[in-house]
Amino acid sequence: MRRLLGKLAGLAIGVFAAVMPAEARDLTVVAGGGALQDHMRRTLFSTFAGGPVVDTAYDYNVGPIRAMVQARNVTWDVVLVEAPDLIRGCEDGIFERIDYSVVDRGKFMPGGATTCGAGAIGWGVAVFYDEARHANGPATFQEFWDTQRFPGRRTLRRGARITLEAALMGDGVAPADVYRVLATPAGQARAFAALDRLRPNLVFWTGGQQPIELVNSGEVAYALGFVGRTANGIRAGARYNLRWSTLLYAYDSWAVVRGSANAAAAMRLIQHITEAGPVTELTKLWPINPATASVANDPDVRARNPLMMTNHQAGGLEINTEFWLEYGPDLEQRFASWVNR
Amino acid sequence: MRRTNWLAALLIAPLMLLILGSFLLPVGFALFTAVADREVAATLPRTRAALAAWDGVGLPPEPAFAAMAQELGQALEDRRIGDMAQRLNFERTGMRGLLLRTARAAGRLEAPYAASMVALDARWGEGDTWLLVQRAGGPVTPLYLLRAMDLQRAPGGGVQAVAAEEALYRQLFWRTLGISLAVTALCVLLAYPVAYTIAKLSAPWSAVALMLVLIPFWSSVLVRSTAWFVLLQREGPVNQAMMALGLIDAPVQVVGTRIAVVVALVHVLLPFAVLPMHSVMKRLDGIYLRAAASLGANGVQRFLRVYLPMSMPGVLAGAAMVFLLAVGMYTAPALVGGDRDQMVAWFIAYFMNREVNWGMAAALSAYLLAMTGAAIGLARVLTGGVATIGGRA
Repeated sequence: MRRLLGKLAGLAIGVFAAVMPAEARDLTVVAGGGALQDHMRRTLFSTFAGGPVVDTAYDYNVGPIRAMVQARNVTWDVVLVEAPDLIRGCEDGIFERIDYSVVDRGKFMPGGATTCGAGAIGWGVAVFYDEARHANGPATFQEFWDTQRFPGRRTLRRGARITLEAALMGDGVAPADVYRVLATPAGQARAFAALDRLRPNLVFWTGGQQPIELVNSGEVAYALGFVGRTANGIRAGARYNLRWSTLLYAYDSWAVVRGSANAAAAMRLIQHITEAGPVTELTKLWPINPATASVANDPDVRARNPLMMTNHQAGGLEINTEFWLEYGPDLEQRFASWVNR
Repeated sequence: MRRTNWLAALLIAPLMLLILGSFLLPVGFALFTAVADREVAATLPRTRAALAAWDGVGLPPEPAFAAMAQELGQALEDRRIGDMAQRLNFERTGMRGLLLRTARAAGRLEAPYAASMVALDARWGEGDTWLLVQRAGGPVTPLYLLRAMDLQRAPGGGVQAVAAEEALYRQLFWRTLGISLAVTALCVLLAYPVAYTIAKLSAPWSAVALMLVLIPFWSSVLVRSTAWFVLLQREGPVNQAMMALGLIDAPVQVVGTRIAVVVALVHVLLPFAVLPMHSVMKRLDGIYLRAAASLGANGVQRFLRVYLPMSMPGVLAGAAMVFLLAVGMYTAPALVGGDRDQMVAWFIAYFMNREVNWGMAAALSAYLLAMTGAAIGLARVLTGGVATIGGRA
């Protein structure tokens, strides 16, 4: 009994310590949560020699980070951010400049080392379907749009980004021309017209797990979903056919929140968690797409993870961050208006 | 006497401070954010000053060009250009690209800037571009409040509707109102017999029944909405049961429809209707009903002319509660609803968290607040003032 009380007291103190803003805060790293973050903790964060690291999860909403910086009450140090949020946050002074005297600039894939961000991992979306239900399915966006050959409902992401690119490719625009066309009023009209055609057979998803659920439950026949989750489904035994020829991808980056009291340690942590050693360990647990060039190009890593995006990236389309920063607000509004009509 | 007043004021002071600090100030701040226009004034103060004297005809004078070039370059260097670029880009797509392009080239631009900036990008040679900057000088703007009603400032002054393919919010408010009213009506109809039955039950059983009403509160809205997704999906138990019973031949699409949204919301909000009704009905004195019976009223008359009017405060309190909560819901519609079933709250969260456009979030919130206020006020007027929230029975 006394032991139990002792344990409870310890727990209470632990909880208290966890919720109280401590004076000397441990280095805090924030990522997208889930199983991937558990693996990151094991391979990246806990192997850092520069002091204890605690990690917490967020849902990629940067609103709270901005509020934190504006209130000068910064409780996060290193954050995994999406490319548009990184660029805007960098221009607004939400993130610190990466100290490239601490972080080795040369180890990243091209474009992986930017003013405020150090390349972390890539993500992508691609068409997939359950072969147990459909022996044949669309292999390109044009086929995805072909409801004669492939009848059945489809699902796309609710939002302009990714969806409008897919719509243009579904209408026959070559991947290399997508952003040039989408920047013109005629191209935008063409993308929405393509969506109009597919609308009777279209449902939209919002959360990353939904495409999997929709396909598993038979709500839709074909889905455009995150390749990481689809790949994990395949590894767990699902019979998904993942069509890499429809890949759209981008890279997330590690950034340091501006005003962090631990900024110096944060830079050292970023240097550590982008090193080939820890990142290679992470690839053994999860088929991530590292932005660390030596790991991404490591034949062993690639052979071990046939479902790694890096193996299939050549034919994919990289999501154009600058395009979406400029046209995003307008196109997202138009998309919301279209969806609600 | 005076001293007791002071004492009373002192005693309720914590409550007043709480209301002030946690309700009035944040709401006031949110309402102000809906009209505030600080970004240009904060980032381009000298440009704003140089544009203040400009009459808006043709192009502004050279000092405005010079100030713009220098301040853009400085803002990029100091990393505080993004907010302002987003603010102007929200009003006119393409401004972000123009501002960043100019800021990056600022070091290479030379006097006269009116010539070098136009050479860099022809848009600097258009009066409209400068008018946009001038009008964004603040301190307040109708931009967000207009956009949240699908309106915008017309080029020549005045107000006009946005293009049809951009219109969204008016329809969104009507839909939010419609769904909320439907949910409120269904909740009241379903809750009334439940509350009546519980109020009539004797001691141990009424507590058990109230417990059953309260149990759903133990799980989050998210869990309950997800449960509806599972139940209603194409191959879910509801469809399977109906097919097994031969009621339908093929699965019916329920998930992703308005019906699913209403069902999930009614389920989530039903206890909020039951509890106020029950608390009023429990305290209704049976003496009036007996008096009505002794005067010869039959069962229907006793209910319609005595019980129903007397339980009305509970009904109105419950209805107001359900309506207020329904108006602000977004988890349930997001989970079980389709693309045409999203409500205003979803867009408020979107602008807060994703776009980080707090002006737009605040403007939508202001209208939502006005809508609920109007609905409650209307209910009070229609019922001759009996709809005091909290149900004084």
